[in-house]
Amino acid sequence: MARTLAMFTDVSLCIGCRACQVACKQWNQLAPEEPEWTGTYQNHAHFTDKSYRLVRFFEETDAKGQMKQWHMMSDVCKHCAQAGCLEACPTGAIYRTEYGTVNINQDICNGCRYCVSACPFGVVAFNHDTGTATKCTFCNDRIHNGLGPACAKACPTESIRFGFRDELAVKAKKRVDELKKLGYKDAQLYGEDKDGALGGLNAFFLLLGKPSIYGLPDKPKLPQRNVIADSLLAIGSALMVGLGALVAFRDRGGKGDA
Amino acid sequence: MEPGLLQSSDWPLLIDLYFFLGGIAGGAFVIATIANLLDGQRYRDVVRVGYYIAFLAIIPAPIMLIVDLGLPTRFLHMMMVAKPSAEIGMDAITVGPFHFKPFSPMNAGAWALLGFSVFAFLAALDVFLEHRSGRSMSGLRLIVGVIGGFFGFFLAAYPGVLLGATARPLFVSAHWLGALFLAVGASTGGAAIALVLSLLGGQRREALSRLMRFTAFTLLLQLVALALFIVAVRMAGSARIGQALTQLLFGPYSLTFWLGAVVVGIVAPLVLQCAGGIKKAGAGVAALVSVLILIGGFLVKHVIIAAGQAT
Repeated sequence: MARTLAMFTDVSLCIGCRACQVACKQWNQLAPEEPEWTGTYQNHAHFTDKSYRLVRFFEETDAKGQMKQWHMMSDVCKHCAQAGCLEACPTGAIYRTEYGTVNINQDICNGCRYCVSACPFGVVAFNHDTGTATKCTFCNDRIHNGLGPACAKACPTESIRFGFRDELAVKAKKRVDELKKLGYKDAQLYGEDKDGALGGLNAFFLLLGKPSIYGLPDKPKLPQRNVIADSLLAIGSALMVGLGALVAFRDRGGKGDA
Repeated sequence: MEPGLLQSSDWPLLIDLYFFLGGIAGGAFVIATIANLLDGQRYRDVVRVGYYIAFLAIIPAPIMLIVDLGLPTRFLHMMMVAKPSAEIGMDAITVGPFHFKPFSPMNAGAWALLGFSVFAFLAALDVFLEHRSGRSMSGLRLIVGVIGGFFGFFLAAYPGVLLGATARPLFVSAHWLGALFLAVGASTGGAAIALVLSLLGGQRREALSRLMRFTAFTLLLQLVALALFIVAVRMAGSARIGQALTQLLFGPYSLTFWLGAVVVGIVAPLVLQCAGGIKKAGAGVAALVSVLILIGGFLVKHVIIAAGQAT
């Protein structure tokens, strides 16, 4: 495998301009959508088959419910090292590239939609026009031609940075230290740790508070980790059913009229 | 605050129906196999009807799956593609154009559906030939029954494991859905055989009595699995998961859950069986109990899937 490519999004630099969202739509030729009222500046509420990039807006409130801080985060597919969508995909359409990113082969996907509910971040969306699942590819065509993803290129504040994962991780840790010195005590990285949840995220974030403020799960879990335990319990149930059938149909002497 | 960012597969009622029929098919096949192993002659009707139901219930299954796909012409991609990619998941096995992904219950389920369909056809063919010509390949039936029985168990249980391997709040910490779906498959499979036998009439009191005893046991198993499912979800300790469970137990899905899945599907059949006496159960009571189990068996799967997808 080639050196892993990654995206580092520093929310402390995000100004919510949504240039990334627009650039993504333009490069990937995603059709416009009807605006959706979400109660904030965020549009849309979720990733869609026509929005692979989504700037999220969050209002952090204090214990009294008073507005404390306004957060913005440009969200994207995390290209997880342990990807729920990839593991769920029954067709093998979802695969890992030589750069460590996770893509959906549109020529193989049959539109079963299992990946949609298997993603712990709600990234994958179903396209009713093509009948397939879609999501961000880190602009697969661009990165295979030496260009960065369109969103990272368009970001005016360099809140979104793209490059080799190991190099970005060093920069990200340095930035956290800087922010802490400036008084942002809760500044932290999300998804950078390869030994952490999902084996690390190839799109990792610098957050100014705990992940739940940004709607992110504190400890995202690979759903397929449940398969062994759930299967063992099902085997236990099967043994009980088999035992029940043996007891119910065992011979107790006299012949009947079955 | 928990993530409100999760998305749903939005599987329609057709998929619930597939899971229901797959459970009936798997359950009926296993019951027929065990009855055949214990005394094929004595339980001839149970074996015959069980294998016929398994085969007939599994015929529409792939059609339902195919119709639901975004691209129905690509159904075979569940098992094979011309040029499989190298990295398609944990422990994935690719042999030529074929691929098997043990950690993708949908992929494993597609293979199980194929395997079960073959054995369900062979078993149904054998009992049909026996009925028509009086000759049975008992050795073959034994092998087909045992191997097909394993596929039958798998077919009944895998939808629950499949749901458990999603990020949906109601499913992700459940763990007992595979066990529950298997118990539902067994009870509905037994009920389907009992319903057909009771409608066919004749002297089948012992077969019905034994089927009622079996379904009573599997209903209790179903009740235990359902209770453990709720306890496991409740103990997950997450606000979002708690909200999802509240929607199922006390929200818009509660009527279907409590009245349909619990009262109609489990409590009423058990009370009827206890009141009427399992051994003395006549064809009428057996038919009524069977219908209630079948309705409840569908509703319990349907309501859990619906609540899990919506919350």
